[in-house]
Amino acid sequence: MKLTYPTTLVLHALGQGFRHGFEILDVTGLPSGTVYPILRRLEREALVSADWEDAAIAREEQRPPRRYYDVTPAGQLVLATALARYRVPRSIAARARRLRPAGAS
Amino acid sequence: MMSPFPLRLALWLIRVVAVLVPRTRRHAWRTEWEAELQYHAAYLRRRPRRSWWADMDLISRALGSLPDAAWIRRQFTLDAEVVHDVVYSTRALVKSPGFTAVTLLVFATGIGAAIAIVSIADTLFMRPLPMPHPERIMTIWQQNRASGAERLDVAPGNALDWLARTRSFQTLAIADPFTFNLNFAGREPDYLTAARVSEQFFSVLGAPVLHGRLFLPEEYRRRAGRVVILSHALWATRFGAESAIIGAQVRLDAGAPYTVVGVMPRGLELRLFDDRARRAEVQVWMPKPEFDEAEFKQRVYGAWNVLGRLRPGISVAETQAELDVISHQLAHEHPETNGRISAQVVPLRVHLAGGLRALLPFLLGAAAILLTVSCGNVAILLLARGSARAREFAVRQALGASRFRLVRQMVTESLMLAGAGGAIGLLVARWMLDLVGRLRPADIARVDRMTLDARSVALACGVTAVAAVLAGLMPSLQLSRPVSAAALREGRTGPRRAVGRALVVVEIAAALVLVAGAGLLVRSFMLLQRVDPGFNRDHVSVLQVFASSRIDTPEKRIAFFEQALVRLRALPGVVAAGAVTAMPFGEARVIARGLLEIPGHPAAPPEDAFAYTTAVSGDYFKAMDVPLIAGRLFDATDTAASRQVLVVSRRAARQFWKGADPIGSRVRFQFSGKSFDAEVVGVVGDLRHEALDAPAAAEVFLPYVQSGFRALTFVVRTAPDSPADLRILKEQIWALDPLQTIFSAASLERLVWQTLSQQRFNLVVLGGFALVTLLLAAAGVYGVISVSTSQRVREFGIRAALGATHGDIIRLVLAEGMTLAVAGIIAGISVAIPTARLLKTLLFGVTATDPLTFLTVSGGLAVVGAAACYVPARRALKIGPAEALR
Repeated sequence: MKLTYPTTLVLHALGQGFRHGFEILDVTGLPSGTVYPILRRLEREALVSADWEDAAIAREEQRPPRRYYDVTPAGQLVLATALARYRVPRSIAARARRLRPAGAS
Repeated sequence: MMSPFPLRLALWLIRVVAVLVPRTRRHAWRTEWEAELQYHAAYLRRRPRRSWWADMDLISRALGSLPDAAWIRRQFTLDAEVVHDVVYSTRALVKSPGFTAVTLLVFATGIGAAIAIVSIADTLFMRPLPMPHPERIMTIWQQNRASGAERLDVAPGNALDWLARTRSFQTLAIADPFTFNLNFAGREPDYLTAARVSEQFFSVLGAPVLHGRLFLPEEYRRRAGRVVILSHALWATRFGAESAIIGAQVRLDAGAPYTVVGVMPRGLELRLFDDRARRAEVQVWMPKPEFDEAEFKQRVYGAWNVLGRLRPGISVAETQAELDVISHQLAHEHPETNGRISAQVVPLRVHLAGGLRALLPFLLGAAAILLTVSCGNVAILLLARGSARAREFAVRQALGASRFRLVRQMVTESLMLAGAGGAIGLLVARWMLDLVGRLRPADIARVDRMTLDARSVALACGVTAVAAVLAGLMPSLQLSRPVSAAALREGRTGPRRAVGRALVVVEIAAALVLVAGAGLLVRSFMLLQRVDPGFNRDHVSVLQVFASSRIDTPEKRIAFFEQALVRLRALPGVVAAGAVTAMPFGEARVIARGLLEIPGHPAAPPEDAFAYTTAVSGDYFKAMDVPLIAGRLFDATDTAASRQVLVVSRRAARQFWKGADPIGSRVRFQFSGKSFDAEVVGVVGDLRHEALDAPAAAEVFLPYVQSGFRALTFVVRTAPDSPADLRILKEQIWALDPLQTIFSAASLERLVWQTLSQQRFNLVVLGGFALVTLLLAAAGVYGVISVSTSQRVREFGIRAALGATHGDIIRLVLAEGMTLAVAGIIAGISVAIPTARLLKTLLFGVTATDPLTFLTVSGGLAVVGAAACYVPARRALKIGPAEALR
């Protein structure tokens, strides 16, 4: 699969522990119309895995369950290669620190 | 909790886009998007301030679901051409963000404004009223054929004759609105709006009670007990929306308690109270006991409302004709009082719409114009972009793309733009409605409850689709013309420019029509504000007081008000303090009119024999700054025991004495049920009472000490930097009687300002739309001239090489733009002049074809057009001849 710069940013954000679609938008600054197709592609290539949040949490917050994504071991490898090719701007790392949600790994 | 509007809009977008996702994955896809959006919205809600930027962000995130859905679909149906179009269009739009942003803005403005206006119209005119067959409910008013005054409250005698003689109505009833004081110890005294209603009243409305029951027939008997029905609003705010209130005894005033028998449904609006009052709706309903003899005879005073439900199949015109006949009979039977009075039938819905009714056609027209201009602009933008993409189109055609395929591609693109624009447009519409709600003209009921609902959204979709196809089709047909080899080499030129120019001319013409209309309103408003009402409204505080029921005799009232005036006058910074029964521009209109008889003068025809009769106390004229023209004002020598005296207004002097000196003359009249025989001692200037555009009526003034009327309005003029604000003034009255209600307290400036709310509303709404249209038209000129300039670069290069100066080239570009602007202005004027006549009812002091306004507007438009040409012209200059000729 083609490893574009936006794909790298998304993988990197996932690797940093940002697991939900909208968090990735906030961290990478990419529009949702870009991030979601990338997530789909990564999922199709088995570079990330996806699962649903616990239904109890969703019920308590009165909304549907959120979907979260994780980098698979194969994804980690690809990410390492990609990071060697692209430089992730420092601003993203800074934004990542600011936005890091409580309790995220 | 109801989700805020942007979130609802975003979720709605997801639902629409989900159609693209293959069914097997649709549910999961929707859940994921909805969860993220709701989570994000909840996060935004926790933040201290909601900003419009956050709303936009939410919508733009939701819009991202479209490429996502398209991507998923492509995985399943690899060669679906629709998906290809969407993907291709997305890519093309993302590649030119500037173009996309401008186009979105134009679409959003046009669609948003159109939706906002249609929502206003919908709320006011089409939404069902909470009653069965509301179209059959009529209100009936008195009309004075002599003065032209319309929709006057009805005198009891006339109402009762109408009730007895008409046949058009299934049921007919009266309501007698009044206010009563709420005096609870420890709480600031307040008042409630109430109405006594006759037996048929609730069957006219046909609305069932929400809780409890209606009044029983025996409760309409005299001394039948104290029962009330509460309005939904009062029940919800004061009684906590408890259904247990039914049967309970409630204390509404200082008297004995009332038994609550029912609660009316929500949304029942009748606007029985005066337009200007803060509360136009009845809060408490009470049964009206049988009519008495005095009511049958009273044909001059009275503030009854008459409502009726028409028999099925009877039209408004037939009813009006029947009432005209009855009015004629009454005029014969009672020529003194009914000579010029007729009945006026107004459907309830029209009555509720208030003054906005006159504005509505213009609003709809403005919306149509704005939408047209937006579509035109998007077409121009697409054309402009098309000329940049001409080569791409030519290549695709040469490679075998059919014309249909290319057109579809472009229409898809404009549909996507319009879809996104429409979504943003809904937000824009919400903001506009909030703005309109905030302006809230006092006499337009329901205006603060305007909502966007499924109907508006459906409308938005329709408008969007039509706009997109219109805006996309024209340029795409132009651009997809069969190609020649030359086009492949250098892109095309030619007839496309003609289309763009035609669009610009139409836009300028449309903008001129709107701007001219707004210009006329601005002129009217300026003239209206300059009208001299006959008094000086700066630094005057006004407190309207209805003496409470404990102050029950004229003597007690005179003493109470006199003490209050002494206290007010003693405050530091008070220049003059007085009081009056009929306060000009007052919130509660207490107006008494009486028949004047002047011995030695022939009786005037009945319609000219009436004058406002007003009692004044203290330094009323000084506080209002009304000039004394002849004779003297009232002074300490005018007491209850002294001979009765009268001061007349200049207009009264002219109307009744026809140029003779009124001073010393005797006048007989009735006031507040007492007969007066007074001597005229002075003449003062005229005061306008109702509105700045209503001329002053004849008015005569008597000293308050000789009347003892129930209500009085204090008028206090203070020095500019006086510490005596409304609070301190109110405290002076409560110091005398802590339970005395103050009906309203405001500055005189504010009271006058309130009467202009309708004009202000017209001005802001129409003016706002005109401004937006003007900007869009300017953008159109800019777009067309930019394209044309870029196509003429080679020509400019040759000219420059042959010795043309910068000035020459700017002139060339300006000439092209100004030709369009002038053509648009001429077309616009020829449309605007006949159209502006329709505005006549909204204008004051200017004619609909006011040359000054039209000249200013045309000049302004020409300047805007020239400014829009200047930027492309400067750009053309930057290209050197060598570069242009390459």
